[in-house]
Amino acid sequence: MNTNSNIYTVIYTTLVCVLVAAILAFVSQWLKPKQDANEKAETISQILTAAGFDQKAHWQEVGNAATLDFYKENLAEASLVNAQGETVGTLDKDKAVIYTPSELKVQNRSIKGGKEFKVPVYTFSNGVTVIPVYGAGLWGPVWGYLSFDENLDKLVGAYFDHESETPGLGGKIKDDPAFRAQFQGKSVDFADAKPFDIVKGGAPAGKENAIDAITGATMTSKGLNEAIVNWLEAYKGYLQGKVQAKAAEEAALAAEAEAEAAEENAETTAE
Amino acid sequence: MKLKETILNPIFKGNPITVLILGICSSLAVTVEMKGALVMALSVTIVTGLSSLICSLLRKTIPNRVRIIIQLVVVALMVILVDQFLKSFEATYPIDKQLSVYIGLIITNCIVMGRIEAFALGNKPIPSLLDGLANGVGYGLILIIVAFFRELLGSGTLFGIPVLSKLGYVNNGLMILPPMALILIGCIIWVQRSIQKDLQEK
Repeated sequence: MNTNSNIYTVIYTTLVCVLVAAILAFVSQWLKPKQDANEKAETISQILTAAGFDQKAHWQEVGNAATLDFYKENLAEASLVNAQGETVGTLDKDKAVIYTPSELKVQNRSIKGGKEFKVPVYTFSNGVTVIPVYGAGLWGPVWGYLSFDENLDKLVGAYFDHESETPGLGGKIKDDPAFRAQFQGKSVDFADAKPFDIVKGGAPAGKENAIDAITGATMTSKGLNEAIVNWLEAYKGYLQGKVQAKAAEEAALAAEAEAEAAEENAETTAE
Repeated sequence: MKLKETILNPIFKGNPITVLILGICSSLAVTVEMKGALVMALSVTIVTGLSSLICSLLRKTIPNRVRIIIQLVVVALMVILVDQFLKSFEATYPIDKQLSVYIGLIITNCIVMGRIEAFALGNKPIPSLLDGLANGVGYGLILIIVAFFRELLGSGTLFGIPVLSKLGYVNNGLMILPPMALILIGCIIWVQRSIQKDLQEK
C-alpha cells in the first residue's frame, strides 16, 4: 500500500484525530466527577483554613470526606449577597455547595464591569464569616478568603491561592504563613481611599487596615491588593449593612436597658 | 546485549539533559521541590515510554509527510491523559495543582518527540518502549538531583520535611530562582564530562 498518497494521508490523519478525540472525550466524562470533588474539597479546605479552624496541611491529611463533613457540621449558613448587601439566595448546606475559583472568576468579571453580581458569604456557627476575593496576580489569577469575627469589624484570618505565581516570591501569598498571619487583628476601613492596603516597603506602624507586601513580589502583592479592594467594595453593602444592623441592635438594647433603669429609678424615687 | 545498551545508555552515557541538552526548560521550572520533581519525572517517563510504544506500533502505517503531526497527536493524547489522571486522585491532586502548566508542557518537551523521531520510528515496539522509559528515567534522575540541592539549600527542607532549617540554616533565595537550576545542571555536565573524556570537544 502506498502510504504516501494524498488520499491515504488524509484518511489516516482524520481517523487518528477522531479516535484521539473520542478517547479524550470519554476519559474526561469519566473522570470529571472525581476532579470536581477534588476541587471542591480543596476550596472547602481553603475556606476552613481562612476561618482559622486548622492548618491547611491538616485538611490534606484527613482527606476529602472528613473535610466536607467538618464543613457541613460547622457551617451556619452559606448565602449569596448582591451589591446592596441583600441576601438573594442560599447555597445548599447539606450538599456543601460552594463557589469554586472558576465561579469566582465569573463574578469577578461582573464586579469589575459594574454589572449585577451574586457573591457568597460563608458564616460558621462560631460566628466567623468568610468572604472570597479574586483577581489577577503577575502570571495568572490569584484568589483567596478573608475571615471576619462575629462583629464583622476585625479580620481573624486569611488564606490565598494562585495559579502560577513564582514559587518562593509571589508564591509566598500561599506558602508563607507569616504573610497570612499579618491579616489577624487587622480591620477594613471603607472611609479610607483603599479599604485595605498591602504596602510595599512595610505598612506604617499603627495603621489598622494595612499590612506589609512581600519582598521581591511587588506585582503579586499589588494584584492581590487590587483583588482584596475590589471584592471588599463588592461586599461593602453587606459588611456595612451588617455592622449597622449590629450597631442598631446594640443601640436598641442599650435604650431598652436605659429605659428599664429609668423605670427602676422612677420606681425607687416613687417609693 | 543491545537491549541492555538501550536501557542503560540514556541514563548516563547518553543522558537526554546532560549530553543531548534536551528538556532544559522544564528542568528549570519544576525542580524547586523534590515532590514536584518526582511527579514530573514519573509523568515524563510514562509519556515517553507509552508514546514511543504507540508510535513504534504505528510506524509502518504513518504517512511520511505528516509523521510529525501524528507524533504530536499521540504525545498530546498521553500528556492529557496523565494530567487528567493526576487531577482525579486525592493524593496527586495537590501536586498537579502545584505543577499546573508544566504537566501540559510535557508535550513540548524535546525528549519525547526526539526519541520517537530518532528511535521509535525505526525500531520494534518493545525496544522503543524501553528506550522511551529509559530516557524518561535519565531525565528524571537529573531532575531529582537538581531538586535535591535546590530544595535543601533553598528552603532547608526535603520533601517538605525540615532538614537544614532545623540546624539554624538561613535559606538561600537564589537557589529557588531558575538561574540556579541552570548553574546546577552546568555543574552536573561538568562532572560528567570530566569522567567521560570522549564527550569533551577538542
